[in-house]
Amino acid sequence: MKLRLPPSERLLRIACVLALAALPLMVWSLFDPTVWPVLIALSVGQGLGTLSFVLFLVAVGRDLHVQRKLATRIRPLD
Amino acid sequence: MEWASVTSAAIAAAILVVHLLRRRSVTGTSKVWLLMGLGVFPILTAGTANIAGFEATQSRKFCGSCHVMIPHAEDSGDPKSLSLAATHARNEYFGEKNCYTCHKDYGMYGYVLTKLGGMRHVYLYVTEYRTMPLEESKHAIRILKPLPNANCMHCHTTNAPDWLRVPDHASSLASVRDGKLSCASAGCHGFAHPMTKLGKELASDGRISR
Ligand code: HEC
Ligand code: HEC
Repeated sequence: MKLRLPPSERLLRIACVLALAALPLMVWSLFDPTVWPVLIALSVGQGLGTLSFVLFLVAVGRDLHVQRKLATRIRPLD
Repeated sequence: MEWASVTSAAIAAAILVVHLLRRRSVTGTSKVWLLMGLGVFPILTAGTANIAGFEATQSRKFCGSCHVMIPHAEDSGDPKSLSLAATHARNEYFGEKNCYTCHKDYGMYGYVLTKLGGMRHVYLYVTEYRTMPLEESKHAIRILKPLPNANCMHCHTTNAPDWLRVPDHASSLASVRDGKLSCASAGCHGFAHPMTKLGKELASDGRISR
């Protein structure tokens, strides 16, 4: 089975939303350094943040790949 | 540290919100912005928040944030308490980190081991102690392994002449140094947390007496 990722544009929007959820979780632990805020920041906060950056890298990587493919296809026509 | 974390989070959030609101197609420029908003600034936030978070796990406030640790934390904050834990909390060297200073693992991998031990505590708290009333937890929660005298000896070396002149120190020197006789035991300096020992005491080597 091949995993079908949404188009890059959607992927990046998802990444933005994930990061916007992760940032407050991380900042919350600074203002309330007790067990749950700190633990959630270090787990869920970090996790979502990392995932959002990974999505970004995937999207950019895929775009680059497509561009390169297009470039090699176009060249013989020059 | 905190302001750096908050500022970078705010910058990242601003970039992301702008990206979400402007429904334009993604260009090279917007990717650079997103690299900032999804990569550079959040990583700054995470890094600084991590440092602050790990720092926070050493504070008494953090230890006291599970309700079963409230009796320990309150006693340490009580200026009139004569318990070992409280007298050490009044010293600036311990202060807000007094739980950590006594209870941390002083070995080479001490920091990591202490954190792993702490995770175990959190797990046990969630699974067993979260709803336990304080009156019960005071007797039910006991130290897994006796707190090693070696921890005390990081500061009280057992080598100082005045220390050695104390008759009880001199007569028990060997068993103090090898940990057979806990410094924090009934006949010696008393328990570090006497308010939890009503009913279920520890033996003189610091182990749970059965
Ligand atoms: C002077 C060093 C010292 C300090 C400071 C200290 N402890 Fe302890 N702790 C001990 C020793 C020694 C024991 C073994 C039991 C005893 O002596 O009461 C212990 C036992 C415990 C136990 C096992 C249950 C019990 O009550 O016996 C818990 C939980 C605990 N400490 C939590 C804390 C917390 C939370 C703080 C900070 C508020 C803290 N300790 C500060 C030395 C210390
Ligand atoms: C990080 C260093 C450090 C550690 C670890 C430490 N102590 Fe102390 N201890 C001190 C200092 C400093 C004082 C002096 C406190 C003051 O007067 O402000 C002190 C004071 C004491 C006193 C005299 C208290 C009084 O009421 O006069 C005793 C007894 C004592 N410590 C026993 C212990 C025992 C037992 C342990 C281990 C469970 C321990 N200490 C761990 C640094 C330490």
